Amino acid sequence: MALAAAWGLAGLLLLLAGLSLFQRDLWRACEAFVAFALLMALAWLLLGAPWLALAETLLGALLTGGSLLWTLRGRGALPRLAPVDETARRARFSAPLRWLLILGWLGLTGLALVWLLGPEALTPPRSTSTLLAATGVPIMGLGLWAFAAQRHLLRRLLAFNLLGSGVFLLLGGLAAPAAAATAEVRALILIGLMIALLGSVLGAALLLRLHAQAGQVTLNPLFKARSNAGSGSGMAPGSGMISTR
Amino acid sequence: MSATPFHLLWLLGAPLALGLLAWVRPPRHSGLVLLVGLPLPLVAVWLLLGLEKGPMAGRLALGPLMLHWRFDGLAALLLLLTQLLLLASALYATDYARATRLGRHAYAGLWPLLGGLALGLGLIWIAADLLLLYAGLELMGLCAVGLMLLPGSNAALSAGLRYLLFALVGSLAWLLGIALLLGAGGRLDLAGLAALTEPEPVIRIALALLTSGLLLKAAIFPLHSWLAPVHGSAWTPVSAIHGALVVKAAFFILLLLWRALLPKAIAGAWALGALGSLAVLWGGLQAARAAGLKQLVAWSTVGQLGYLMLAFPLLAGTGADVATMAWQATWLQLGGHALAKAALFMAAGNLVLATGADRLTALTGTSRRLPLAWMTFGLAAVTLMGLPPSAGFTAKWLWLQAALTAGQWPWVVVLALGTLLSAIYVFRVLRCAFVETGPEGDPEPALKPALKPEPGLGPALKQEPRPKPELKPGPELKPGPKPELKPGPKPAPELRPASGQKPALEPRRPPLGMELVALALALAALALGLAAAWPLALLPAVASPPAGVR
Amino acid sequence: MSALLPLATLASSLLTAVVIFLLPELAVRTRTALNLAAALIKLVLVIGMAWGLTRGQVYAFELPVVEGLSMVLQVDALGLTFAGLSSLLWLFTTIYAIGYLEGSPNRRRFFGFFSLCVASTLGISLAGNLFTLLIFYELLTLSTYPLVAHRGTPQALAAATVYLRYTLSAGLALMIGLVALQVLAGDLRFGQREVLAALGAEHEAVLVALFWLLLLGFGVKAALVPLHGWLPRAMVAPAPVSALLHAVAVVKAGAFGIIRLVYDVYGIGFSAALGLLDGLVLIACVTIVYGSLRALTQQELKPRLAFSTVSQVSYIVLGIGLFGPLGTIAALAHLLHQGLMKVTLFFCAGNYAEELGIHRIDELDGVGRRMPLSSLAFTIGALGMIGMPPVVGFISKWMLGMGAVQAERPWVIAVLVASTLLNAAYFLPILNRLWFRPGPGQGIGAWPAARAPSRLETSAWLLLPALATALLSLLAGMFAGLPFSPLQWATRVVDQTYLAL
Repeated sequence: MALAAAWGLAGLLLLLAGLSLFQRDLWRACEAFVAFALLMALAWLLLGAPWLALAETLLGALLTGGSLLWTLRGRGALPRLAPVDETARRARFSAPLRWLLILGWLGLTGLALVWLLGPEALTPPRSTSTLLAATGVPIMGLGLWAFAAQRHLLRRLLAFNLLGSGVFLLLGGLAAPAAAATAEVRALILIGLMIALLGSVLGAALLLRLHAQAGQVTLNPLFKARSNAGSGSGMAPGSGMISTR
Repeated sequence: MSATPFHLLWLLGAPLALGLLAWVRPPRHSGLVLLVGLPLPLVAVWLLLGLEKGPMAGRLALGPLMLHWRFDGLAALLLLLTQLLLLASALYATDYARATRLGRHAYAGLWPLLGGLALGLGLIWIAADLLLLYAGLELMGLCAVGLMLLPGSNAALSAGLRYLLFALVGSLAWLLGIALLLGAGGRLDLAGLAALTEPEPVIRIALALLTSGLLLKAAIFPLHSWLAPVHGSAWTPVSAIHGALVVKAAFFILLLLWRALLPKAIAGAWALGALGSLAVLWGGLQAARAAGLKQLVAWSTVGQLGYLMLAFPLLAGTGADVATMAWQATWLQLGGHALAKAALFMAAGNLVLATGADRLTALTGTSRRLPLAWMTFGLAAVTLMGLPPSAGFTAKWLWLQAALTAGQWPWVVVLALGTLLSAIYVFRVLRCAFVETGPEGDPEPALKPALKPEPGLGPALKQEPRPKPELKPGPELKPGPKPELKPGPKPAPELRPASGQKPALEPRRPPLGMELVALALALAALALGLAAAWPLALLPAVASPPAGVR
Repeated sequence: MSALLPLATLASSLLTAVVIFLLPELAVRTRTALNLAAALIKLVLVIGMAWGLTRGQVYAFELPVVEGLSMVLQVDALGLTFAGLSSLLWLFTTIYAIGYLEGSPNRRRFFGFFSLCVASTLGISLAGNLFTLLIFYELLTLSTYPLVAHRGTPQALAAATVYLRYTLSAGLALMIGLVALQVLAGDLRFGQREVLAALGAEHEAVLVALFWLLLLGFGVKAALVPLHGWLPRAMVAPAPVSALLHAVAVVKAGAFGIIRLVYDVYGIGFSAALGLLDGLVLIACVTIVYGSLRALTQQELKPRLAFSTVSQVSYIVLGIGLFGPLGTIAALAHLLHQGLMKVTLFFCAGNYAEELGIHRIDELDGVGRRMPLSSLAFTIGALGMIGMPPVVGFISKWMLGMGAVQAERPWVIAVLVASTLLNAAYFLPILNRLWFRPGPGQGIGAWPAARAPSRLETSAWLLLPALATALLSLLAGMFAGLPFSPLQWATRVVDQTYLAL
């Protein structure tokens, strides 16, 4: 029964991660992320860590998700971002090193999992913890891909958060059998959540400010100039604010 | 009274407490900072001297959570170095804030971030388990990002954001590595992990992930791209502390982990050494091409960090004598470079402040007005080039000796090329001191950008209402091709005028305090070369395992 | 107690440098007084050490830097030879520089690095092992760079860059060689010749390779062909700096390094056994002839003197390479002799440039009548370089010839004769112009108006050092037989240090 629920949960997690990352409408992407974080809390419950579930709800869904949403529609002094990401993706093979690192990351993780779990890794997982750990891998993959391929800083922050969630899942799932280190694992995840929250808040605040000062929503000012020329009003400073009114 | 863990805790916490205090009431005079801050390095010295009875180690139980720490000679020396550099940076910052008229909020924000940085660094030096290391690393990383963002200019913002993203992803790689280690062994303390040998492939993979995260944070080639832009726009005291300590902390952890987990992994160690060699060459080449002074100094950091990576091949699987030499050389280079790089950043900052321009060509004709700044730059550069008498020289001698003893010829070539490259970029700057005529053109003295108040980041983050950009719906909807011309608070690129702007012809002297702090650091780097015997005697032996209570 | 004197000698210039850097630019009098006092104190200290050394006193200082590696200062007769030369000539050069740079900008920087430069030279002479020698050798590079670049003109900067390129690469070669030697033999003190000799059988090829690597390191500063390229270029520096580079500090540091390498590290006997001396003699002969030939083609005074230095310094190397006490005596004596003569020539060249604006040789017509004292000094120096008795240059060449006979290489005498002819060929025309040609009249090319008849031909600061060194080189030649003449001191060094041979 628990396993079936875990399967469902894993599927939903993947679905929401994909939604959050592929969605060009930033508001919906952030909403998907909040839902994803709530499901993560459920996953922690399944793994028997209610405190972590609480922390995830609070830090992940409420604060991180909330701050990202606030970036889009909050009533601050700075001009809001455009609601839709209109920047082009990075060309597929523009930065070979980046792709190499991503493939290395995923490949190494996969290898290590196979080694740690033995032959069980190649069959459908039979325990909740293994299943959730395994779910972490595709989520990481999605996060890494989005982090590398997308330019919009808010989406990259989302990608980072999902990547982090994937790592947390793996961490929680892998370490669950070794009961000795439970406290340490939870502390690690807690610190990770805190860092993700702080990083997201800081990143979002910076993004807003960069947007207000330079009209940029990406790291590369050159790129922005080109995209402006192509897409018309999309990224003109202040237009986000206008359209939300 | 003998040193106890309590004193250590006090020393770790004090900078943060002082930083928070200074946030509320930012200090105006460096004398006050000196008075309040001086006890910290003194306590560190006292702790260091108290270690003669042997290293301290222990566990700290927080509920079910067990934290492991150890305090040996190395940790104590690094802690002392941290406190010294922080003090120097704080002293410099007070004068810097007045000389450049930093924004009030941004300046106040400097202090708690410095305090947090100190705590993070302190945790890293004493940590004996991965959890504590993780906490320290993240605290340090976030504070470092915050410090880099303080100027609030466009360049600082986008460089800081890039740094933030890199740092965050780096820490996730690190966390994933820990996850794998936990899955393999179920524990996090270094002593326990050192005993862990099976399953080896998983340990290797975990270490690879940990390494990649740390390489990112240490700005080792090829993951160094964030470093130079960040330094180009940061405040001088921040650059100094960052180039001196923050990147070194990641290296420290890297070395700690490799020695604990895979002390005999020769192929991996050689790969790291090769990366270091590429860093030496690439950093040197980029520094030799850099147009701006701060960029040059930042690229030289990339190159100098590469030297440190030579420690891996010389420590892994080599004889005791080679390992000892490489071990001593590593820490000597780390300390010497930390002091010299801080001095170099400060001297460069003084030059930039005085001339109002960052470009090398703008520095000509200033040596008569700014003898002290040039002197400091030259002295610090001696360490960088590894010429005698300096810590860099002694370290390079030891490295050469280790490499020749071990028969690892490639590193000799790397060290030689690195020396020549560093001489090339250093003398590119120093030769400007001998040109008597200032830069051509623009007879009328240009506006000194340093005199403009800076908006700083602080106000914005604290929601201080800012005039909204006057962009009303209507004709403005066509994209502004020149976003810099936008109304609103003009981002003042710190100390750097627009590229076409000519510097003031008459350089203005930076405050004496700033010059003296830089000079003291540069002299310390030189003295460390000749007085290396004392700190090296305090180092734990290379053969000693990563200590800690199991 | 015994560590005090060497340290004090070193400090006398090092502290002077620091204090000069701290003094304001305009404190001319204080700086002058300080410079002169320091130079005198140093000379006294060196003489005191020489006195103590002859009475069997031991002076040594040791500072362990890392395990198995120490910074060692020790005083031996050979080191004191160089220390004496540099402190004596520094006194004259300082006096000259004070006069030469009067009223020019950046004198604080100049004199600071000037002192630092001499401190490094002194460190080189007092170094007790190769590690210490390297420290001061590199310090010398660093402290001479600002002097070469001093004027800040594009030519000066280019010359300084070339200088750095040569010397830093050489320093690197030296460092790698020294580290390799350290790996083979440990921390070698000078004089422990038996250590390498004992290793000889096993590591012969390595030791030979290391010797040439180290020679590369020292040879750049000693301006051995083909490593001499920086020296003529560095002529753009002010005249006192040229004097310093050529006579006192830099080239001599290179030559001194080679002396240490051959006599105190490898040992002359072992060097000969390894067959290293043949190569050394060959290089020296090539350099002697090549330098003289190039000097012949120079149309300007200072470059001609520079190539003359290239040639003359190799007499020292030649003497080193001639196996036997006489060759060694010749080398050491010439280290001192060449310094005295060359510094005189550069002082005079500087006087001509300063007083009359003369840089080219064909502008020297009739200068002897306008500036008789400088020209007299120049003549003494030039005749000495040619090897005319009774100036000291004759003694050098004579001893070299004797050494060649003793070392059974009579063909070297042919090189000496050829070199002497070439020396005459490039110096005699200058003397001819000085004394026997009429000077320019009024109009184009005319000299600036003479000073009042009652006054000296040029500033006393400039004239007296030149006269003093000229007189010394004359006296040293005439009274070569007296104790404490350069020749006798060199003989004493060789007797004391190489009795084992």
